[in-house]
Amino acid sequence: MSAASKDTALRTGAIARAVIYSVLIVFAVFYLLPLFVMLVNSVKPLDEIRQGNMLAFPQAFTIEPWIQAWGEAQIGVQPTGLKPYFVNSLVMVIPAVAISTFLGAINGYVLTKWQFPGHRIVFGLMLFSCFIPFQIVLIPMARILGLLDLAGTTSGLVLVHVVYGLGFTTLFFRNYYDAFPTELIRAATIDGAGFFRIFRRILLPSSGPIIVVTVIWQFTNVWNDFLFGASFADFDSQPMTVALNNLVSSSTGVKEYNVHFAGAILAALPTLIVYVVSGRYFVRGLMAGAVKG
Amino acid sequence: MAFLEINRLHKQYGAVEVLKGVDITIEEGGFLVLVGPSGCGKSTLLNTIAGLEGITSGEICIDGKVVNDLHPSKRDIAMVFQSYALYPSMSVGENIAFGLEMRGVSKADRQKAIEGVAAMLQIEHLLKRRPGQLSGGQRQRVAMGRALVRDPKLFLFDEPLSNLDAKLRVDMRTEIKRLHQKLGTTIVYVTHDQIEAMTLATQIAVLKDGVLQQVGTPDEVYSKPANMFVADFMGSPTMNLIDAKIANGDGTLAVEIPQRDRSLSLPVPQPPSSLQSYSGKSVVLGIRPEDITDLDGADPKAEHIAQAPCSVEVVEPTGADTFVVTQLGGKEVTGRMRNATGLSVGEDVPFAFNMGKIHFFDPATELRIA
Repeated sequence: MSAASKDTALRTGAIARAVIYSVLIVFAVFYLLPLFVMLVNSVKPLDEIRQGNMLAFPQAFTIEPWIQAWGEAQIGVQPTGLKPYFVNSLVMVIPAVAISTFLGAINGYVLTKWQFPGHRIVFGLMLFSCFIPFQIVLIPMARILGLLDLAGTTSGLVLVHVVYGLGFTTLFFRNYYDAFPTELIRAATIDGAGFFRIFRRILLPSSGPIIVVTVIWQFTNVWNDFLFGASFADFDSQPMTVALNNLVSSSTGVKEYNVHFAGAILAALPTLIVYVVSGRYFVRGLMAGAVKG
Repeated sequence: MAFLEINRLHKQYGAVEVLKGVDITIEEGGFLVLVGPSGCGKSTLLNTIAGLEGITSGEICIDGKVVNDLHPSKRDIAMVFQSYALYPSMSVGENIAFGLEMRGVSKADRQKAIEGVAAMLQIEHLLKRRPGQLSGGQRQRVAMGRALVRDPKLFLFDEPLSNLDAKLRVDMRTEIKRLHQKLGTTIVYVTHDQIEAMTLATQIAVLKDGVLQQVGTPDEVYSKPANMFVADFMGSPTMNLIDAKIANGDGTLAVEIPQRDRSLSLPVPQPPSSLQSYSGKSVVLGIRPEDITDLDGADPKAEHIAQAPCSVEVVEPTGADTFVVTQLGGKEVTGRMRNATGLSVGEDVPFAFNMGKIHFFDPATELRIA
């Protein structure tokens, strides 16, 4: 009897699973379609695209559009390609992510393990910054960057992104450290370790997952940001996203779709790589913060 | 001169008073156990001694030095936590040596100290492992090793055995006692387990709601409890507390326990003078289960054994002893009988009361009369 019921259970399970998987595959194909179109058309010569049929595989394979997008395409007034802007983005993203992650970790540490009167209010106000739309701060931020003499510089952009990222990084680390046993801090205090020594020797070694989460989150946000880059950057500090926009929306000459596709993929590549490399930590780390204990 | 001295210690969290004027002293080499039900303030008291929590008023002296405003690391103490609090990212050896490292002890000296402590606690084979790879008992040893290695003036233990299973707890208890006897260090130990308190302590301090109920040797606390709370808290099964009346019959006092049909009268031998004034008034009679026995099992050295017939309600054999529950004065009363007395429920049998070991408490103040 039990064997029979197990049998039916298995069979219905198989049918249900087949349905679920086919639906999932359909969705996956659907979501991957744009990427497919971009990839396929970035390796076609321009006339092949003009004939229509965007979904077809290339008849004549060429990497010329990629070379163009990276080093030769006309962006603004110079035929530099996206290369210098890619470097601009890296020079902005790396310090912005590092500083905001470090400050977020320190904030989370203080807000959970060195609580002071009113720490809840301070945390509440910092959370607030997660919900303020970017547009609201544009004008005050421009004024502050002007006062600090950072307008139009990469340092100015780094500052903007650190300030904007702090709410999120603090939230991540605070929730993570909240579940960290306070007795460990007490033991280390008695052992004679001070504020930073406890942070470096006791907390940081256990913070791997949440650091990964924060770095991915910040990297993606800062790299993909367009508004701040368009508002506060000069020609020599424009990030990749702004340059891509300038490439695609330039109104002179022929629209080189294959070059645009290649450029768009180049712009998305770093965040893609970050996700693929550490995506599984992202999910795990988010869970670690969400369900404590 | 006392080694650890706590004077009029008050501790408040906002409007809530957690410790209400605690005075305790302990000699060098003593083993002080703070015991009480949960929420009585015993862990808070320990944390204030460690300096992990500030105090509202009062004074804490360690070895003649007031440490009120000293940072925990400067008080020359070591603490073993309930959760062991081993640093998860460090090996056992690094855990043990962390305190020394923070104090700038050279690597060679640290290594020597680790080896010494590891040998004493028999954890040499674990030194390279991470805390996550250890069992509960092994973590407990490492936590003690971390405290021992610094050779501090004062050891603080915060319910260190409460996360272990029953058998391991008894083993570790013995081990802690052996370590204390061997090293002769001064220890303050917090527990809610009165058996741990009795077995380990040279001094027991019983706390309730932030007020010290009694401080004394295990024997004093057990055989002369200062009030009904201490009498009830120490000992297992707990002391029987029976509402009774003192009757004065031509110079000799007797304690009368009202029963449904007839009231039971037990003579009080050599009544202390403090009891005279209670003549004719109600009191609470305290008598421990081991002082209520069957006639054969009565202490042969006891001078005053009173006999009274009681009806057997429940019989609980535990192996060595059999606990027998009866009714006296409307309360359940437990007696401790010899094994296999062949009692059956509902039977009326004579019980022997060791009248030399009874306690009287004032029903209003709950304080000890005699």
